Amino acid sequence: MFCYQCEQTDRAGATPGCALSPGTCGKDETTAALQDLLIDVLKGVGQYATRARALGAGDDDATRFVMFAMFTTLTNVNFTATRFVELVEQAVAVRDRVRAAYEQAARSAGQEPEQLTGPAAFVPGAGTDEMVAAATDRGILLGLPLVGPDVIGARALNLYGLKGVCAYAHHAEVLGHTSDEVFAGVEKALDYLAGEPTDLDDLLAHALGLGQLNLQVLGLLDAAHTQTYGHPVPTSVRTTPKAGKAICVSGHDLRDLASLLEATAGTGINVYTHGEVLPAHSYPELAKHPHLVGNYGGAWQDQQTDFAAFPGAIIMTSNCIIEPQTSYRQRIFTTGPVGWPGLRHLEHGAWGPAIAAAQALPGFAEDAPEASITIGFGRNAVLGVAEDVVAAVSSGAIRHFFLIGGCDGAAPGRNYYTELAESAPADTAVLTLGCAKYRVNGLDLGTVAGLPRLLDIGQCNDTFSAVQIALALADAFSCEVNELPLSLVLSWFEQKAAAVLLTLLSLGITGIRLGPTLPAFCTPALVDVLVEKFGIAPVGDPQADLAAALG
Amino acid sequence: MTGSDASPVRLTTSDQVTLTIDVPPGTSVVDAAAAAGYVLPGQCRKGTCGSCHATAAGQYTLGPHSPAALPEAAAAAGQVLLCCTYPTGPLDITAPYTRSRVLDGGPGRREGVVTDVVQVAAAMVWVRIALDPDDACGAGYQFDPGQFVEVEVPGDERRRAYSLVNTGNWEGVAELLVKLHPGGYFSGYLVDLLDRWPTGARLVLHGPTGAFGLRESGRRPRWFVAGGTGLAPVLSLVRRMAEWGEPHPVRLFLGVPSPADLPRLPVLAELVTTMPTLTVTTCVEHPDPTWAGLVGTPLTSLQAAAAEHTGTAPDIYVCGPPGLVDAVARLAADAGFPPVVAERVLPT
Repeated sequence: MFCYQCEQTDRAGATPGCALSPGTCGKDETTAALQDLLIDVLKGVGQYATRARALGAGDDDATRFVMFAMFTTLTNVNFTATRFVELVEQAVAVRDRVRAAYEQAARSAGQEPEQLTGPAAFVPGAGTDEMVAAATDRGILLGLPLVGPDVIGARALNLYGLKGVCAYAHHAEVLGHTSDEVFAGVEKALDYLAGEPTDLDDLLAHALGLGQLNLQVLGLLDAAHTQTYGHPVPTSVRTTPKAGKAICVSGHDLRDLASLLEATAGTGINVYTHGEVLPAHSYPELAKHPHLVGNYGGAWQDQQTDFAAFPGAIIMTSNCIIEPQTSYRQRIFTTGPVGWPGLRHLEHGAWGPAIAAAQALPGFAEDAPEASITIGFGRNAVLGVAEDVVAAVSSGAIRHFFLIGGCDGAAPGRNYYTELAESAPADTAVLTLGCAKYRVNGLDLGTVAGLPRLLDIGQCNDTFSAVQIALALADAFSCEVNELPLSLVLSWFEQKAAAVLLTLLSLGITGIRLGPTLPAFCTPALVDVLVEKFGIAPVGDPQADLAAALG
Repeated sequence: MTGSDASPVRLTTSDQVTLTIDVPPGTSVVDAAAAAGYVLPGQCRKGTCGSCHATAAGQYTLGPHSPAALPEAAAAAGQVLLCCTYPTGPLDITAPYTRSRVLDGGPGRREGVVTDVVQVAAAMVWVRIALDPDDACGAGYQFDPGQFVEVEVPGDERRRAYSLVNTGNWEGVAELLVKLHPGGYFSGYLVDLLDRWPTGARLVLHGPTGAFGLRESGRRPRWFVAGGTGLAPVLSLVRRMAEWGEPHPVRLFLGVPSPADLPRLPVLAELVTTMPTLTVTTCVEHPDPTWAGLVGTPLTSLQAAAAEHTGTAPDIYVCGPPGLVDAVARLAADAGFPPVVAERVLPT
């Protein structure tokens, strides 16, 4: 096996990457091989789908499947080999369907259908053993001896960015928000990768194109969330348990949470958010449920300790599952793209087993002492006080903004973000986005110019909101985003963060600090390009970085 | 407990998690692990059941054990029973189960009331126990399919191990399949219960524990081989697959000595009708005139199936007497199938 798609990939050897089973995340070699195979077949879907759509025979359902299937291969999403055997079979069936539609459309248009090669014609085998055998050399390192590590790294940047795009697009799609442009963009990106591109400049240009595509997707997701659940409003969220039976919802998926809240209404079960579901409390249509009582635990990497101590059922709705410990593996459930061997998987809405578990489990015996944090500073809330913000910046009351965004993780180097926020001067404000917030949301940073100094914008899924805030402020000051008194300090872990980074770069944003380490797939030559074109810099000493930012 | 004369033992599970245990002289790996807070899968703790088997490389001695549980050739090849493995120096152990089968802290203890005892074959009863709610676990009874419990009659310290027939549940129910041994301690107790039913008798269950269980290795066929009460954990595995809608093709090869030993289990009949992926093949070793089905051991049917099989190799799960387990393991190796998942049924 070989995988270097996430930040925690094995860097002990001369060549970074997880080459021994299991990888750092726990993915075994069979699952890794089947994931490689799935990606390959999905590229084949993209080859036919691109051509079919160009002839007016687009198959949105096919690309819906593609987006979901890509999502299953993100870090810490699905570890179940059996599921991937089924997904490969489904992908082959989808590819056959799209191929037939393409060929029929081509003939109807008086054209001879192209005889496509590569993933379009790849035969992955009929069973587990056959698929694993067929997956040999189909992974990300395909062609390495011919094209070298820089091209492979640039392809990886595209593929991993596309995985992030697909994950966000799936979240939007399940809430009914799609667009032809997004379907076509996903298909074209797969078609492009199927051609095994080798031109570095072209690969980088396509990666930035994915960043633009992701901006569209994030716009869809923003609309999906705000039109379904209302605009986030500043909200105080309880962070300690209340007495009673309990279910904890982790991951990112607000639709799953909403469905569970409806299913548990009146049962006496309290529902808690965990990890990236925390921002749910700020959406009026979710917060209206009185049994959505609070946020439980810390960031995703603490889940083994947090879940062991949780006396109820747990539902993982999207990425961020890590190996469940013995003490809670019977009461943790997966849904959507998530899977782990030996855990019960529930289809969306079929929450019966989780509810039965919660009712049978002890729950919290008593209320814990109350504690809370404030969240919900999405674009509507922040831009609602835009005049105050502009005035505070103009008067010098607010000197600078730091946006700490991205993922949290276990690496010790992530303390950087805490220290940066703690050390930021009192005349600065700190905005957070994504689960990186868990590095700072326990801090009391007070207020500045009558506004909280710590403003949480939301999930990583709410990146569109952050971009809109930045663009609106730039508009208010009649300047470019790069000229705003704003420093972007990103903490990356997996492929959604890669997509967000590409979006920021595609917007021309420069000077981003990225940590705790740079992606392993970014070779020194690729890093040089990113530094030269976009001024990306690795995070360093927090004090020195602060001083540099404040100039 | 550690000390300068303790032996460093590294136990690596099948999912590549390594536990480090310092084992004092004269202490078994199982006992030292328990002292370190790890309860390893095992049953008899005296070298007779074979449920704690593993592979070892390093310095150790083996204490007395049953050759049925660990044949001499296997011991010579580095296989061990951890309950009677005494490290004398650095030792690396490879365990055939995942880390999740190692209990942290200790096995649970639950009490409950016997709600049903039903004779399902000439010398076999099915026992249903409704467990009392527990402060930590709540009302449910959760375990991995294939695990076993040790049963204790209140007031009597003797324990007997039985595999659970059902699957983990939130209603707090444990089901056992018990072979009645003439003069047996617990089976005698159950015969008494049958005679004076209903009684509301209470039992204590220690566990669950055990390494036998489903292996996730892709959607390969799953073939289950059961001899006698070896059916109990196998039924648990198949029931779990049915409950969760797992897509693997399933074959169950069941063997009993005589037609009278065939268990009349409604749950098995229900599985046959509701689980489209399941095929059951039943063999009787010593037929009587009423028997019109297959004659032989489950190995006979398994050999035929293996000879006909093409495509992705099956995972084979076997639970039964040592002779059956060893024969199935050899068959799998000869056919090029993955190593079997095995549980030996031995009198304890």
